[in-house]
Amino acid sequence: MPMFKAPFNGYSVKFSPFYESRLAVATAQNFGILGNGRIHVLELSPGGPGVTESIAFDTADAVYDVCWSESHDSVLIAAIGDGSVKIYDTALPPPSNPIRSFQEHAREVHSVDYNPTRRDSFLTASWDDTVKLWAMDRPASIRTFKEHAYCVYQAVWNPKHGDVFASASGDCTLRIWDVREPGSTMIIPAHDLEILSCDWNKYDDCVLATSSVDKTIKVWDVRSYRAPLAVLNGHGYAVRKVKFSPHRRNLIASCSYDMTVCLWDYMVEDALVGRYDHHTEFAVGIDMSVLVEGLMASTGWDELVYVWQQGMDPRAS
Amino acid sequence: TFLTRVLFTEATNEAQQGKLESVFKNSEPIREDQIQNAIKFLSHPRVRGSPVIHRRSFLERKGLTKEEIDEAFRRLPDPPPSSQTAVNTQDGQQVVSNVLQPQGQIQAMKPAPAPVVMIPPPSLLSRFRWYHVVLAVGILAASGAGTAVFVKRSLIPRLKSWVRKVMSEEESDPLEKADAKPSLAEEAVAAAKAASAAASDVARVSQEMMKTKSEERKNFEDLMQLLGVQVQEMKSLSNNIRYLERNSNNLPKVYSANQEVYSGLVKTPAERRPYANGSNIDYDSRSARSTSPPAPPADSSQPPHPKSYMDIMSMIQRGEKPSNIREINDMPPNPNQQLPNPRIAPKAKPWVYGQPPQDESSNGPWWQQKNPRSADFGYETTTARSIGIRNETSTTEPAAIQKQRSWVPPQPPPVVMPEAAEAIRRPKPQAKIDQEVVAAASDDQSGVSDELQKVTKFSESGGDGSGRFEITEIQEETEHQHIGQEGN
Repeated sequence: MPMFKAPFNGYSVKFSPFYESRLAVATAQNFGILGNGRIHVLELSPGGPGVTESIAFDTADAVYDVCWSESHDSVLIAAIGDGSVKIYDTALPPPSNPIRSFQEHAREVHSVDYNPTRRDSFLTASWDDTVKLWAMDRPASIRTFKEHAYCVYQAVWNPKHGDVFASASGDCTLRIWDVREPGSTMIIPAHDLEILSCDWNKYDDCVLATSSVDKTIKVWDVRSYRAPLAVLNGHGYAVRKVKFSPHRRNLIASCSYDMTVCLWDYMVEDALVGRYDHHTEFAVGIDMSVLVEGLMASTGWDELVYVWQQGMDPRAS
Repeated sequence: TFLTRVLFTEATNEAQQGKLESVFKNSEPIREDQIQNAIKFLSHPRVRGSPVIHRRSFLERKGLTKEEIDEAFRRLPDPPPSSQTAVNTQDGQQVVSNVLQPQGQIQAMKPAPAPVVMIPPPSLLSRFRWYHVVLAVGILAASGAGTAVFVKRSLIPRLKSWVRKVMSEEESDPLEKADAKPSLAEEAVAAAKAASAAASDVARVSQEMMKTKSEERKNFEDLMQLLGVQVQEMKSLSNNIRYLERNSNNLPKVYSANQEVYSGLVKTPAERRPYANGSNIDYDSRSARSTSPPAPPADSSQPPHPKSYMDIMSMIQRGEKPSNIREINDMPPNPNQQLPNPRIAPKAKPWVYGQPPQDESSNGPWWQQKNPRSADFGYETTTARSIGIRNETSTTEPAAIQKQRSWVPPQPPPVVMPEAAEAIRRPKPQAKIDQEVVAAASDDQSGVSDELQKVTKFSESGGDGSGRFEITEIQEETEHQHIGQEGN
């Protein structure tokens, strides 16, 4: 049985860093081409495998990504297709939300990531080729990072160094940045086609993974960045998201337009260690819980959200 | 205690931050050969006409560092404006001047010249964008109509009269005829060149316009339609040229060049679209969801889209809006709403301690319970290995940790070479050197030195031409190493 059926197509799913049974889902009407959006906050039912919605927020345009604040347990931040960045307080009812809306990006905001070490700022990545740095209590962005030649699909904070982040772009480069520096500190031409996602290894802060339209995931060490540590083949189409496990050093989760979610161990010869085919359309969002080891969630254009333990079948009830 | 452990780790991180963060910068020296390549590329006339951001992006994709790119730009004979600042505004201005000049050139029958760069005040930027669209649309129409009219009115009648002349005067001077023919052909050639150059410039311009975020859906629609019209007119133009070709020997070379340009500019608009929604070809700006040209799905590397997705796309291309969209006001009802007080203190991340946590069994709610045995993943697991297996987890974890500490590469070659010390002194091809370095590393297992670690990493990263530089370093480093050992 599917865990949660949304009215719109799923785009992103994120576990709360405060409550182990809570997660947020970003969805968009009409596949995000044109239409409204909705943010769902879901709770895992303690009685038995099941997921219920605790609150939802409607938006005029598609919601492409959502992230939880690391400082305020009830606050989440949404990346919207109309270029706005909105802040929601899930402890307040929908008519009192959103509590902030920042309109600065010139195009769709594709991802949002909260700083896990400093806990005071967050990044947004947009199709206007820029990354912006924000704080929740400031009325405008703190900085704009403008170097990419095409859409930036994701910007992700380093798990150990609070000033360092990476960005993945359609200009086929991965860039490393330090907010204290005026521009990027490294440019890695990671793929020959667009790079859709990137994430840092939580246990090796110099290692990160990129996923691309070229169907591969590559793992990089910034200290020797001219060639990747590993190239992970196995997906049949573009790899939409890649995520390093918060609990296992070399474990990577990925989701793809081939509708599957895969698990990889990039340090072994046969890297593909698991594959889930529960989605019936593009698998577009994935997350691994920081609070519960092995707990994963995924969402896709089939409007379904699954939450499961790694060794289990996501569809089992 | 727990708290002191957390504080200690964080303090250590803080202290190390200064030293460690240098790894996030590129510390390689500038490579002269790469700079020379870049200068050649940047000096090419066609490249000089392109926006700076595209030139930089191309060089970045070739692996050049920022410093190398900046140096190449600095060394160019006519230094163009530098990298990051006001790139958009520059693009805008270059676009305008690119478009303006071919218009004049068509009359003069010369190929398109280099652009003139001006920088407008940033406050006018948004207005300029609108301006660009209108201008590009107008000039597209004008140039296309102009060339079509020119061909129809002057060229074809001339050709007809020439043909009539040839047929009626059989005894006329062959030299005269030969003279008449080349000049006509020359004019046709020049016109074709100018038209195609103008078309390529104009098409390039319009491609850039589309890419740089048109916010008006209607304008984008108009632009696309006009482009289609222009494509038709270009087709008829090349048909006319083909007709001329049959009647003259001078044209074929020019025609084939035009054909390349033509096919080039048909291709490029389709390539640069965000892939984020799974389709490389469908559409560029989402505000333009209405109208991109229909995607030809002949390419097997395109993932099959849901049928309803294609339905919605074609609906939008027809100018229709899906009926399920509501008017929603999602602005903050109270923009001064205070941020809530946090109810819980943030929890430390599991990776803060440097090592992955031990796998604990839990008897809590269903989302905490793990499957202790190998699970059926649904279909098609490539190997029998499953990460749900507890035993495997606990045995592989310590091995992985140890691997990390000594940083031995995943697949060390199985060699023991007693003559390694001697052999390394002799220059050898790269592959061999890798093996020996790694062998030396594995020989010296007890306390692998930082130096050898670094050396091993260098050898791993081999790669392109830069690998050669690094190999020389390896030779020196290992020599020092061995000298040190022998000295003991």
